[in-house]
This record gives sequence, C-alpha cells and structure tokens, in this order.
Amino acid sequence: MTADVAPGEMQIDSIVKDDVLLRKSARGDEEAFTQLYRRHQAPLFRFALRMAGNRWAAEEIVQDVFMTLMRDPRKFDVERGTLGGYLYGIARNRIMKHQERLPRELPLELEVEDGNSALARLSEEKTPAQWAELQQRREMVREAVMELPMEFREAIVLCELEEMSYEQAATALECPIGTIRSRLHRGRALLLAKLEILRDAPKRVSAGR
Amino acid sequence: MTCEEFEIAGLDLGGTAGNSAQEQEAREHLRECARCSALHDNWQLLRDDLHAIGAETRDAEMSGRVELRLRQEFRTQHKTVKMRRAAVITSWGLAAAAVLVVTVSWTNWQHAKRNGFDKNFGVAVAGSQKVAPEAKNTANDETVSVDETLVASNDGGEFTLLPGDVPGTLENGAVVQVRMQRGALGAFGLAVNEERAADWIQVDLLVGEDGHPEAVRFPRSAN
Repeated sequence: MTADVAPGEMQIDSIVKDDVLLRKSARGDEEAFTQLYRRHQAPLFRFALRMAGNRWAAEEIVQDVFMTLMRDPRKFDVERGTLGGYLYGIARNRIMKHQERLPRELPLELEVEDGNSALARLSEEKTPAQWAELQQRREMVREAVMELPMEFREAIVLCELEEMSYEQAATALECPIGTIRSRLHRGRALLLAKLEILRDAPKRVSAGR
Repeated sequence: MTCEEFEIAGLDLGGTAGNSAQEQEAREHLRECARCSALHDNWQLLRDDLHAIGAETRDAEMSGRVELRLRQEFRTQHKTVKMRRAAVITSWGLAAAAVLVVTVSWTNWQHAKRNGFDKNFGVAVAGSQKVAPEAKNTANDETVSVDETLVASNDGGEFTLLPGDVPGTLENGAVVQVRMQRGALGAFGLAVNEERAADWIQVDLLVGEDGHPEAVRFPRSAN
C-alpha cells in the first residue's frame, strides 16, 4: 500500500515502516501514531465512504478502526500481512456491522470539501439536459454499486472506483488475486445486469408512448 | 476465445489485466462477436461512470477534528496507562511497607514481651523466683481470709494475701526476696508478735504490676 499524504500536512518519512511506527505508538509515541493515521486515513476513508454510502458513517468507521489500533496495537502481526490490509480488515468488519445496524441512509455523497458538487463543475461543458441525464445515470450506477453484495462491492470499489490493481486489492482485502478476479467478474456481471434493467425501463416507457 | 472466456478476461481490454496474447484473442473475438462487442461497450460506458464516481471522492479525507479527537484519546489512554501503572506500583509499595511495619512491630512486641518477662525475673536475680501457679492459687483461695485478722505464717511456704488486696490480680506478679525485721510486717497490716519484732527475717513478697506488695510468704529457710 502506498503512503498517502495530504498536501500541507506533516512530512512522512516513507522509509519508516508501519510496524516500526506501530511499535513506537504502542510505547506512547503520539507522533508515530499520527504518522500512521495520516498515512492510512485517506484510502480507508474513501473505501468506507464508498462502501457505507455517507460521510458521517465513513468517519465513524475509520475513527473506530484507529481507536482499535490504538487500544490494542499488539493484535497486528507483521508476519501475517501489511498494516494496511489489517486496517482494511477492521474497516470491513465495522462496515458490515454498520450496515447490519443501520441500513443505508443516504446515497454516496457528491459534496466535496468546498461545498460544491463535483458534477456541477461538469455542467459548464454540457447542456442542462445532458447534465441531468449524466447525473441520473451516475445516480443509477451509485445505487447499483451500493446494492451489490458486500464482497462484490468491495472488489468493484477497490478496482474500479479506487482504481487499484488486482494485486493492491488482494493485499488490501488479504485474499488471493484469483478471488479478486472472480469477485470482480461477478460484480461486473451483476452491475451490468442491474443497469440493463434500469436503462431498459425508461426506454420501454418511452417506446410505449 | 469463447464468449464466456471473453466475459472473464476480455472486459479488461486496455486495462490492467491480461497478457498480450490473451488481449489479441480478446480483440479478435470482439471483432467477430456482436454480443460481446455490445457487452464490452456497455461495460466501458459503465466503467467510465464508475471512474467518474471514483474521481468525485478521490481527494476525500477524514476531517481534521477526527485527528484531533484521536490524538486526544491517545494522550488520555497513555496517561491513564501510566497512572494505572504508577498506582499499581504505589499500592504494591504500600502493601510491602505495611507488611514490613507489621512484621517489625510484631517482632518488637515479642521482644518487648520477652524483655518484660525477663525483667520480672530480673528482680529475682537478687533471689527472686517466678510465682508458682499453686502459690497464686493459694493466694486466690484465701479470699475468705481477707476480712479476718491476718497473721504472718511462720511455717508457711504459701503466700498470704495482704489485707485490702483483691485476689486474682496476682497473675503477673513477681516474687521479691526481702530481708527485714519482723516488726516491719506490721506496716503491711499483718499482726506481729511483739516479742520477736526485732528479729531479722527473710520473706518473699509477691509484688504486683503496680509495684505494690500484694502477698507475703515466709520461706521455710527463714524460720
């Protein structure tokens, strides 16, 4: 997993390995813990956001992941995999619990930090009708992704939305590449099938007129 | 390449998966098969949408307040751990100190008790002896005679309570051998034979814890 540093934030010494930072953190080194947090929070947050469907839940999930790491750092075994994979594993469990407890409340948010819609930026290049159509189509895609079973959604989120390689996705989910391939294949098929139905429905309606 | 194989491997054409030979086969199948060509087009459209959706949140990050909250929690947790460790060490220290104090106190008490015992006997170095249980018993048994006129027994060997003494307080008494004139016994309230008042006699005085003589005995040797 690559280091992820937000611009303007603390410089992270990429040479320092996660397990070294974790050991320091376990001994009470706050800076080491902060480095770990800054290194892993963004990809975890995006994963949680795309899996859970809303920012509030994603923040809760990722905060919970780091609280778990803080309280019991010795549960991570460097022999068994990467810290990133370990954190993704905790995040997946929290996402599953969250979805059992709270059914999806809001669709995947379009709002970005500055409060403007990302799609709104595209509207400058398109007519209102095109923009509305695009927005509707992406909304359908979002809905279809969110309705995928957990394991297929994970593969789609990591490989298509996050654009990770199969190897990276396999590392994150701590499973073989073959499993990622097969989940992705099934996920794509389910998405295509679902969107075919959704896309055909308006066509049929318009054909009937 | 069959349609099934294309569905598994061909959808990634131009993507990250598949070797070049496989890609060639997939492209060939794509040209030949209208169904797979439509599937591929649909998938590319969908993939574009997925990438666009991914791009919308590509820069998404946790809000800064979560980091602050986590750092605060980290400080609290490690402070708590340190305090708990200090508390445990302190409690063990206090417990050890308490055990030490109790042990030393008990040893001192035992030592003092033994010294006190020896002191009682120490008086007897000059010729005293420990009160024999039977002597005490005798003294206790003489309750009846308290109100009577007491006469120092000449041929006793047994203690006689001095007038006004309460039996039963002699448990920790010490025996002191004293050489005195017989007439001095009158000072203890005992009747004295005036004819022999000037005689020097040896008596055993049973001295109580308060230092006052409580009973008297005339050793046979003093007769």
